[in-house]
Amino acid sequence: MLTMAEAVREAMSIAFDERPEVFLLGEDVGIYGGAFGVSGDMFHRYGAERVLDTPIAELGIVGAAVGAALSGMRPIVEIQFSDFTAQAMDQIANQAAKIHFMLGGALHVPMVLRTPQGSGTGAAAQHSQNLEPWFASVPGLKVVVPSNPADAKGLLLASIDDPNPVIFLEHKLLYKIPGRDPVPEGATRIPLGVSKVVREGKDLTIVATGIMVNKSYEVAEKLAAEGISITLIDPRTISPLDMQPVYESIEITGRLMVVQEGPAHAGFINEVIAQMAGSASFGSLIAPIKRLAGMNIPIPYAPQLEKAAIPQVEDIETAAREIVKNWR
Amino acid sequence: MSANPLLIGHPLSSTEHARHALLYMWRIRKFEEAVEDLFGRGMMHGTMHLSIGQEASPTGMCMALTLQDQITSTHRGHGHCIAKGADLTRMIAELLGKKIGYCGGRGGSMHIADVETGNLGANGVVGGGLPIAAGAALASKMMKRGTVAVSFFGDGALNEGAFHEAANMAAIWKLPMILFCENNGYGMSSSTAKAFAIDNLADRGKGYGIPGVNVDGNDVIAVYEVAQAAVDRAKVGEGPTLIIAETYRWKGHSRSDKNLYRTKEEIEEWRTKDPLPKFIARAIEAGLLTQEQCDAIQSEAIEAIKAAVNESVKAEAAEPSGLLDAVFKAVTA
Amino acid sequence: MSFKYPVVMPKMSMTMETGELINFHVKVGDQVKSGDVLFEVMTDKIDMEVEAPADGVIATLVAEPGAVVEIGKPVLIMLTETEVMAFDFGDDDQPVIAVEVTAPTPVIAAPVSAPAPLIVDTPVKAVPKARVEAGNRGIDLRTVHPTGPDRTITMQDVNGAQLDPAIVKRQEANKALIAKGIEMTRGIAQASFSRRVSTSFDHASFIAAWAKVLRGRPDLAAHEQIGVALIIESKYGSALPVFRDPDQASLNDLRTLVASTTDAAKKGKVPVEMLSGATTTVFDLTTYSMSSATPLLFPNQVTSVTIGYDSESTKNISLTIDLNLCDFYDGALLLDALVASL
Repeated sequence: MLTMAEAVREAMSIAFDERPEVFLLGEDVGIYGGAFGVSGDMFHRYGAERVLDTPIAELGIVGAAVGAALSGMRPIVEIQFSDFTAQAMDQIANQAAKIHFMLGGALHVPMVLRTPQGSGTGAAAQHSQNLEPWFASVPGLKVVVPSNPADAKGLLLASIDDPNPVIFLEHKLLYKIPGRDPVPEGATRIPLGVSKVVREGKDLTIVATGIMVNKSYEVAEKLAAEGISITLIDPRTISPLDMQPVYESIEITGRLMVVQEGPAHAGFINEVIAQMAGSASFGSLIAPIKRLAGMNIPIPYAPQLEKAAIPQVEDIETAAREIVKNWR
Repeated sequence: MSANPLLIGHPLSSTEHARHALLYMWRIRKFEEAVEDLFGRGMMHGTMHLSIGQEASPTGMCMALTLQDQITSTHRGHGHCIAKGADLTRMIAELLGKKIGYCGGRGGSMHIADVETGNLGANGVVGGGLPIAAGAALASKMMKRGTVAVSFFGDGALNEGAFHEAANMAAIWKLPMILFCENNGYGMSSSTAKAFAIDNLADRGKGYGIPGVNVDGNDVIAVYEVAQAAVDRAKVGEGPTLIIAETYRWKGHSRSDKNLYRTKEEIEEWRTKDPLPKFIARAIEAGLLTQEQCDAIQSEAIEAIKAAVNESVKAEAAEPSGLLDAVFKAVTA
Repeated sequence: MSFKYPVVMPKMSMTMETGELINFHVKVGDQVKSGDVLFEVMTDKIDMEVEAPADGVIATLVAEPGAVVEIGKPVLIMLTETEVMAFDFGDDDQPVIAVEVTAPTPVIAAPVSAPAPLIVDTPVKAVPKARVEAGNRGIDLRTVHPTGPDRTITMQDVNGAQLDPAIVKRQEANKALIAKGIEMTRGIAQASFSRRVSTSFDHASFIAAWAKVLRGRPDLAAHEQIGVALIIESKYGSALPVFRDPDQASLNDLRTLVASTTDAAKKGKVPVEMLSGATTTVFDLTTYSMSSATPLLFPNQVTSVTIGYDSESTKNISLTIDLNLCDFYDGALLLDALVASL
């Protein structure tokens, strides 16, 4: 079964074969094969004309991608760590996101920015962040967070198709492992802006992103054996966000828990809570909404500290049991 | 306006070329004066960054460019836009917040783009257009289009990281790009004397292995000559050129600038180097235009601006409905 | 060619709307060159010198030093040979009188009438669905014992809660009435007729039409006056306000009365004087999507009418008569007349 890195490479290769205007640029993506091995042998298969090694110049690289996208190409720009998108923020947030709107629709930016995020590799504070809210809060960007290789392939193909700038956030820990489901053959797209109901239950609804989807799944399996059935929803695209399955599920379970890796304060997952709190489904809640998220700290270095900084399987399990027990 | 608003060639190569150069400089001058007037009357929202006094630089550069060649521009970009052949009515309409404006009223002065004339847009971020122009040049090279991309920017942008990154990439990949710096001596209120530790700004090119060329930005003929040389270099694959065009802006940085950072004498001195009378004298001396023809060209420009203003003022204002749908381009299944 | 060019108070910042003219640097008749300072102006953040846009001569000083001038309005007029780019879309020859800057009238917020106080003394915490459920079942949350964390009422608490005593009392009373009613029906002979109608009407026009039909059959009346009782459902039960001689009031007046009475009934506040004198009753069943029902005639009432749901565009009008007092055939005629008059 394919790993996330392999699934992403497969999607890029399919896109390269389908359209000559698709190309990849980034630091060490060419001859090195990518810092996390994602581009792999693409340099040898497609050549230096389509897999461009760039200098260390994130602002310039992303800006070049914007310019190329405005001129008829479909660049995939890889930023080596999502933390370094900070260097490129002008071109991401002030240029790419806004060009279509500001220019009255005259131009658009069909660009995908792929970048690894997340903690767990001991890379410490400046190489481990979850910066989803940075992008999700800028109108004009679409933001995708795949939680498994199968979704990653279909979502990346759809992102490359999309005529707008898409920020594609891959989790480092997922690169080298296969997912629960095998990656499908072929070039099927998974549309952006559609949440996935990963499993259905009647006692509790969990909405989770990224690796928290997988941790929550583990908890759901374990608690199912004890008669607590959990609905697990993975938004997949966090902007634009599809809340419909969440509303429908709350009508049944009445209990909502949201789980994300990024820091709690002003994090993305608060958007799910905010929309639920203002919706017609609010009256179906039989329990307060429970939020599990990262501590509001930079990611620490030592492994036990690094683990303590974000929700783990035990935390999710404890919270799930509590909410079902205390709120009947 | 003819179907192709541009004309390539040396301003003194024919009467037609001299006329084109003079007409476009007058169009820019009168457009900016009109904007100053309309803004002063409270008819335009926000602020305006006027390029009065700098007309020769974009005019000379654009006489070396085709419609397909691309430009990126700055917050002080009306001149670049007009020199590249933009429609005056749609420009004024944008500044007045009208539906028919280039951006439907959503962008304003600093975000005007014109796809048909290869204008990838003005930019409100200093240096923002440099990496974008590099990307456009990259695309041109990859798609073998044979076009060049010109990034207009000011002396202030020479100190932005984006300039450094774009210049380096353009140099290492030999991109068909022209880095055109309009050095008007000030990045808002910071003078170049205070913002640079070097005297010759063209030396910045050396750091990247790019030829750096100085030119009198108020001499449309000189500007054309270095511009055409840079375009020729780029089109045969020799890579980018950095052009430093020395010029001056008569008006403040924006409409709320009190000009505390420069002296009246300095402004007066530069007014004597007005690019328009300079070129008129040359064109008459070369026997290409008469004084009467020059006056007629000025009147033609004035009439064109007046017509644009009158048409725009009557146009329908932009409406808020449809704003949400304007954020993304629709995905076609 | 000479142009008359008004030099206006310029907009100098994004929010500026007026500026104060400090002083002139020129007087009428002065020759000026492009760039010469003509006058100085001030706005709250900035003071600026305004320059001549071209060479020329000063013709008129329009504003006075110290005046506050709106942006875009002329401060002085100069004559020039140069065609200045000037766009005036209004009358610019009038001298500007110093615009008095009046202090803005303080906005006094309209007093918000306090909503009728809810019966709440202590704040009650309950999960959202429990509140919804309690509301639907008329349960006062203050009477529910909370077992959830932080003394929050849970669904379980509400599901096990006692009903509002007032509601329990009513339910007991209804049971008694029903038992009694069953005995009473043995002496009654009734007949019902129904017709489908497609005209539309409101309550007021309906009861007026029905009263008029009855007025035409004094032989079937048991009283002098005609009183049409209109059943109105509310959470307080069924109210039966009586509209006396509704065919004799103006339709507009009647409409107003029906609307206000309906409102009052829904609040349980029908005026006492409207609760007697009914000689016939009208039931509107359409709110329950029912096509017909057979009501028991109240004592002393010969007739009773129901308005039932038939389809999107049609209704089912049904008439019940007391056969002791009214012929079978009369019933049919009455209904026919009613339908015809709608």
